[in-house]
Amino acid sequence: MRFETMTDAIGNTPLVRIDPAVHGLRNITLYAKMELLNPFGSLKDRAAWNMARPLLTQAVERGDTVVELSSGNTAKALAVIAGMHGLSFRSVTNRMKVAEIKDLLLLLGAEIDELPGQAECLDPTDTDDPLTRMYHRLAESGGGYLHTDQYFNELNVDAHLNGTGPEIVKDLDGRAPDYFIACVGTAGSSTGVATALRQHNPDVRVVGLVAHKSDFIPGIRTIDEVHEVGLFDPDVYDTVETITADDAIDGLLTLVRRCGTLAGPTGGGAYQGAVRHLRAIDAQLTEHRTAVFIVCDRVESYMSYLRERRPELFGRPPRRNSLRTVTDADVRRAATMQVAEAERWIAEGRGLVVDLRSPFAYQALHIDGSINIVDELFAELLHGGLPFGRRQPVLLVCPVGEKSARYAALLTRMGHPDARSLDGGIIAWRDAGAELVRD
Amino acid sequence: MPLYLSPRIDPTVQSVLDETTLMAQLSDALGSPLGVVLPQQLTGNVAAFRSIFSAHRLSGQIYFAHKANRSSALVRELAATDAGIDVASLAELQHALGAGFVPQRIMATGPKNEEFLWLAARSGITVSADSVGELATLATLVTKWSLPRVRVMARLSGFASTGAQLNSRRSRFGVSAAAASEVFDVIEKHADALDLVGVAFHLDTIGLPEKAVALEGCLVALDECRRRGLRPWSVDIGGGFGVDYLADGTQWEQYTSALTEAVLGRRAPLTWNGHGYGLRAEGGHVRGSLNLYPAHRPLSGPAYLDRLLRTTSPELRRPLGTLLLDNMYELHLEPGRALLDQCGLVLASVLEVRDEANGDTIVRLDCNARDVSLEEHGVLMDPVVVHRTTSAGPGPVGVYLFGNLCLEADLITRRKVFLPSRPRTGDLLAFVNTAGYLMDFSATQALRQPIGRKAALFRNDGAWRWCLDEQYWPVHHRAEAP
Ligand SMILES: Cc1ncc(COP(=O)(O)O)c(C=O)c1O
Ligand SMILES: Cc1ncc(COP(=O)(O)O)c(C=O)c1O
Repeated sequence: MRFETMTDAIGNTPLVRIDPAVHGLRNITLYAKMELLNPFGSLKDRAAWNMARPLLTQAVERGDTVVELSSGNTAKALAVIAGMHGLSFRSVTNRMKVAEIKDLLLLLGAEIDELPGQAECLDPTDTDDPLTRMYHRLAESGGGYLHTDQYFNELNVDAHLNGTGPEIVKDLDGRAPDYFIACVGTAGSSTGVATALRQHNPDVRVVGLVAHKSDFIPGIRTIDEVHEVGLFDPDVYDTVETITADDAIDGLLTLVRRCGTLAGPTGGGAYQGAVRHLRAIDAQLTEHRTAVFIVCDRVESYMSYLRERRPELFGRPPRRNSLRTVTDADVRRAATMQVAEAERWIAEGRGLVVDLRSPFAYQALHIDGSINIVDELFAELLHGGLPFGRRQPVLLVCPVGEKSARYAALLTRMGHPDARSLDGGIIAWRDAGAELVRD
Repeated sequence: MPLYLSPRIDPTVQSVLDETTLMAQLSDALGSPLGVVLPQQLTGNVAAFRSIFSAHRLSGQIYFAHKANRSSALVRELAATDAGIDVASLAELQHALGAGFVPQRIMATGPKNEEFLWLAARSGITVSADSVGELATLATLVTKWSLPRVRVMARLSGFASTGAQLNSRRSRFGVSAAAASEVFDVIEKHADALDLVGVAFHLDTIGLPEKAVALEGCLVALDECRRRGLRPWSVDIGGGFGVDYLADGTQWEQYTSALTEAVLGRRAPLTWNGHGYGLRAEGGHVRGSLNLYPAHRPLSGPAYLDRLLRTTSPELRRPLGTLLLDNMYELHLEPGRALLDQCGLVLASVLEVRDEANGDTIVRLDCNARDVSLEEHGVLMDPVVVHRTTSAGPGPVGVYLFGNLCLEADLITRRKVFLPSRPRTGDLLAFVNTAGYLMDFSATQALRQPIGRKAALFRNDGAWRWCLDEQYWPVHHRAEAP
């Protein structure tokens, strides 16, 4: 395969059979359309390219900025496409909820505009939704923007009507599947594919999946929000079903651990939603059927999302010398030093003073002669062993003397004979009128 | 299926509602509408905020934002706790001083006129300055009248974020954080008149990310103070901690889903004239956004503060609470609504219950939409029916609540409200948890209808007692021995 440019690699993704031993359906062959293999990482590459392409020549002449209301894959694809054509890209979003995606967009050179949260004291005259606000802003600016408008742009649907859909039919030897299951974000992919499939077989059953109302699944809409989408037409779907974030993660785990498919949450949700919907049908069937679902994007961008919801998946073995192993009894036995004694001890140069507060706070004001090792770093060092000799007396300082007492206890347990904690911390030091300096 | 939005009611408020005879007597004696405040509830609310301070090892003060309710009973009871008060007008300052707050516990916020500034400086309270001009005026007053040095805070706004551009709603108040050095210049210039004790912000948002940016912005501004040799020790993060009004999150979800369907015409309207609360249908799609207070708000009040303090600071990459402590800073709050959670209710009596030809049921109340401004503040929650005797018929009934003004728009709420049982004329509807902004915040004497009276209800000697709001003091006399 030899291409002139990366955008030529968009589309023509494989259709892969899911092992029946995994899904357990007896009469239905289940295929996954592997949209995660698109060059910029998701099915949205198709829509982004199809919407932007016809406008690029003009935009390049005028030096326009590409803008879109997106906090995910469309933004990613558009940022890459804009960059390839020397244009800048601006993503307007309600809230970037997934940290990795935000960082990736910044890395790609995108500007991110986050809209403000809801007012605490209600302003009844404020009825603008983010979308309306963005339209106003684009109108006020009087040009200079290439707005792809994914929620209302028919070219978003066309990308799948002429690409994704026909590819599925071709790979099934010219036949449409009996069932098609997809998650709904802008509704572009599900509408385009469903329309293409029905041209071959009007009886294809189409299942749209949306997030459960109180759940967040990045990339798709909830059951209420879906009605705000311009491209969403309820008649496209034979049924619209909801999936929870838990469903999506369960499905994701099945795909990544058993199917060699590094799918993101909506791919997992589509798998889980598909199997749930088909299982009831499968039990009644006497003849053979086929079903297709879409794997939209890849798992790597969702680590923080997964870590937040399933911390146990990331469990690591406990590390040695961990502060968590220090008991309250250890802390009570830890040696402390009063402010007055500490002033003398420091003046006589009897040992090392370690300030465990943040560098920001240390630099603002600290005890003269102390060194700063912020607690997180100190904890990290201690996993490796004592960071100073046993003959070196140490006085630990933190805000109120609580954290420093725990560390003094830990140092003692690690065999340090003279590790002490400043009683009452630096706040007691300040309140006693002892000197604080700034360099 | 009745679509209830049942209010969250704590056991103390429930025990008040259960005193139906007392409720009826109060309404008969004092008229409708009647604001009822429960000052003793404040103690627990203050303690709940305090417990978050201690969990984070932080010290500082909780300044009650007086503007949320004008009641004397609430302010006097609060004076008996260890909390402070945030006053935003000359009259509020006089009220606070008269209720027993010593100047060290009073903070003046918002834009101020010269009289307000003078009394603030004269009495020795802390002034949270809204602008550079205000500081200059204050310094002039102090010099001219030979007043003691005034403790001042600088209110900042318009904090910049890095990386992604986090837009905050523009505020009319405070000095742009980028121009903070101008404030410090003025303070240094008038060092004999002004004593900078900290910096402040108040953002009208429920969004944590904006508050995190603002709090971090304050830390940066304080660092600038340190560099100049100034020694302020506190950060005031304003109010906006919010209240969870509803007992059941599922009801809120069902209601808002149903409202979306109603706007799309897929079910019968749930509101007077099909009002959409910000939503509208365009070509079969919903546009606009739900313009309502998030009545179901599990993360509110003290829990919201806790979450904010646990939030990692965007630039300094350490929890905000830890950063405050690291820097030895005190944390100040100005909660209004959140401190008044479960502290009051409005009683309105039913003038008429009638069934219209089109099937609607109307309940006309002896109060108007401004006596209990649920609509104005976008809070959707059901009233509680207090029957004098028995229900007028098997429930539930869906009703519209009309006010007593001869105005088409005088609906207590534009929502069809589902009541578990049908009220009769003379029964009472209790709008609970209305002490924060909803009670008489915008009541007027339009059409010469009287503004409702306010009564304080309190426990003494094992029973509920009451007095007029202005008669209430935290000292309760023991009942005479029989
Ligand atoms: C991860 C993910 N899955 C699914 C979708 C849904 O695709 P569509 O917008 O075509 O409905 C999107 C769209 O943004 C997405 O980002
Ligand atoms: C400066 C200031 N502080 C505090 C508050 C109280 O806010 P809330 O009642 O939302 O806590 C307000 C409200 O307008 C305010 O303007």
